[in-house]
Amino acid sequence: MRHTDENSAAAAVTEPAAQTTADATVAFVPGQLKVDRTLRLPSITFCMAQHVQSGRVFCGGSDFGLHHFDPAAEKLETAPLSESRHGSYVTGLVNAGGTLVSGGYDRSLIWWNAESGEQTRRIESAHTRWIRSLAISADGSAVASVGDDMRTRLWDAATGECRLTLEGYEEKTPHGYPSMLYAVAFSADGKLLATGDRTGKVLVREVTSGEIVQSLETPVMYTWDPRARRHSIGGIRSVAFSADGTQLAVGGMGAVGNIDHLEGKSRIEVFSLTSGERVHEIEDSKYKGLVERMQFSADGTWLLAAGGDHGGFVSVWSMQTGKLLVQEKVGNHIHDFDLLSDTSLVTVGHDHASLITLAAADPSVEQPEAEQAES
Amino acid sequence: MTGRKRLAGSPDLSSSGLSRRGFLGGATVGVGGVLAADMRAVNGLRAEEIASELRRGEKHVILLWLAGGASQLETWDPKPGAKNGGPFGAISTNVAGIEVSELLPQAAQRMHQTAIIRSLNTKIADHGRGADLMERGRLDDPGLKYPDLGAVVARELGRLESTVPDYVSLYTSTEGRRKGTSGFLGARYAPLFLAEQMSPPNSALHESLSLDQHRDRAALRDLLSKRFTADRRNSTVGSHNSAYQRVQGMMASAELFNVEQEPADVRARYGPTQFGEQCLIARRLVEAGVPFVKVARAWWDSHGQNFETHMELCADLDHCMSALLDDLQERGLLEKTLVITLGEFGRTPTINASLGRDHFASAWSCSLSGMGIRGGVVHGATEPEGQTVADGEVSAGDLFATILSAVGIDFTHEYMVGARPTPLADFGSTPIETVLA
Repeated sequence: MRHTDENSAAAAVTEPAAQTTADATVAFVPGQLKVDRTLRLPSITFCMAQHVQSGRVFCGGSDFGLHHFDPAAEKLETAPLSESRHGSYVTGLVNAGGTLVSGGYDRSLIWWNAESGEQTRRIESAHTRWIRSLAISADGSAVASVGDDMRTRLWDAATGECRLTLEGYEEKTPHGYPSMLYAVAFSADGKLLATGDRTGKVLVREVTSGEIVQSLETPVMYTWDPRARRHSIGGIRSVAFSADGTQLAVGGMGAVGNIDHLEGKSRIEVFSLTSGERVHEIEDSKYKGLVERMQFSADGTWLLAAGGDHGGFVSVWSMQTGKLLVQEKVGNHIHDFDLLSDTSLVTVGHDHASLITLAAADPSVEQPEAEQAES
Repeated sequence: MTGRKRLAGSPDLSSSGLSRRGFLGGATVGVGGVLAADMRAVNGLRAEEIASELRRGEKHVILLWLAGGASQLETWDPKPGAKNGGPFGAISTNVAGIEVSELLPQAAQRMHQTAIIRSLNTKIADHGRGADLMERGRLDDPGLKYPDLGAVVARELGRLESTVPDYVSLYTSTEGRRKGTSGFLGARYAPLFLAEQMSPPNSALHESLSLDQHRDRAALRDLLSKRFTADRRNSTVGSHNSAYQRVQGMMASAELFNVEQEPADVRARYGPTQFGEQCLIARRLVEAGVPFVKVARAWWDSHGQNFETHMELCADLDHCMSALLDDLQERGLLEKTLVITLGEFGRTPTINASLGRDHFASAWSCSLSGMGIRGGVVHGATEPEGQTVADGEVSAGDLFATILSAVGIDFTHEYMVGARPTPLADFGSTPIETVLA
């Protein structure tokens, strides 16, 4: 999740839409994905945050700056937030109660007034190496950042004070090369924090103490080619908690044959946080590449995932069966998304944004068995 | 250097009384129907050539072959802030005014030993033909296969009676693996090619023999051979004898490939990676007199995840290249050794949707360090977005001529391949004077 509502922590958890039948109200399950509108973006866009206060979407990317657009406008168009920029790619963006916080490969964190574009705080060396991602707690009080210094830092969103620095990852891969810490997410209640690195290691911690409550391994997410090319590819690119905090989804890419390309099958592993056991192991046989972002439905029955290789995809997976419910090719590689409403999604990626409608399956059409899932 | 023409190929110098180290495969080699010979076999060696021969073995080239094509933007020609400049910054070097990618912090502190060429325009952006071009300085003509840089250097700088190989090529990764070619120079100058292991295969003494027995057998064979050849002068007998000498030399050289012979601190300096060990082997080889060593580091073909790939591979290149330069410098070898970083091409300034960069040969970079090089120099420039060369365009032939000039080889010398005069560097090639010391 990329947005919080100052008045309701629960707003961070998408409430399921309901569909009324003659007999009862049943939980909404997406059966259709439809790309309604697309918008050309000014740069490769890695991150976005929905600004619920203004209804605008903010995003950051390879031109080092932030841009915004109104997804409800008749004509979609972007505008720069400010002349000020990061010193490199912007890779993390969150909305902390109306104030935007961005992080980037320049190792800095910047607090922005979303209306004026003014920088209200800048921490130049928030990490000693690239910042890969940010997450915001549901109540908007804490920002978590992860970077290639293999540290996780917790920041007071209001004051910018660093409350906690968490270690626990190796700085080098098993083959002696620099490792990377890509992914971070808070649980919906703000009590847990999950992180994932290049080698497939997941740590789940208590936010207040930093104590590790689960250590999980997803080694398939990391491909080392020992013979043909002698380097690696992959890594955990996304983590997401179920709304009740009992499950954790880990996203990346399966084993890769030719590591010149993102040609591994898109891969999701879902773990029970009570037992530490893997509940689902999902590899998509149709769409290849990295799973860059995931989000559980509020009732935990399905998981929304997006990413890609050159092309992008959005998929919805049943968390009851691990089977595919619906998926759609969406432009180029998707780096981030957020739900604008229960049935409306915005994605950002290589060079454009897409507005997508989630709809229930048409009950008059018999749904095919989801053959693509390998769970 | 003299301006005389040379007839290319393997010599039979037994008639001159100076028996150049033989090779496996016979005395005279024809490739592609081209019969080659060496004028020296006819003329014998003049005094100045004897002096030149004595200098052989004192000059070396180490080619760090960045197989698959490294990105110039992430190495020698950074463009931070350009639309497709990528996320990495540029850092200052120890030479004022020269910046390189932040991925090369150690190389940046050795810029006084290095010249950067930022204006290669070699036009061919597929792996096979691109490698052909950059290894040979030109593409083959119909019916004429040119020798690669290693073979030319081996031919020109190989030492009389050397007990070590003239040309060693290490390429252990399988992707893009190329053995190298001696072209019309013949099998004598083909590389000792190490692909599956880091030392010559079958070079260990047979387990049934002691070292003394091995030496005794060689001495007996030598005695009998001398008696046999006392009244016989023909190339077949000479070739037979030189083949034995070469094998014995190879067996004696095997320890050069054993990095465990090095002190722990030296090994630690090169680091734990395979590329580091191979760079250390390269230093051991040139120290022992090998004229040309190629160490291939594959595979830079980063169509996806270019930045992550370069974070790994540049870390390897930066560390190992810097350790090599330091080690050579401290041993007094850098002034006799040219170290090159080069691949078959560079990578596109444009970033694709997989965050990769694709093949690109229109405006890319390489580096030259050490012998014959004016360090702390940048030659050429690309335009701000890196799509084209803006100044000082360099062709593959120009680079070949520059490399040969740096190690004192007259690139205008001509081999006579049959009746065809063939210069060492392609016709029309011009060395880059700004990078030559």
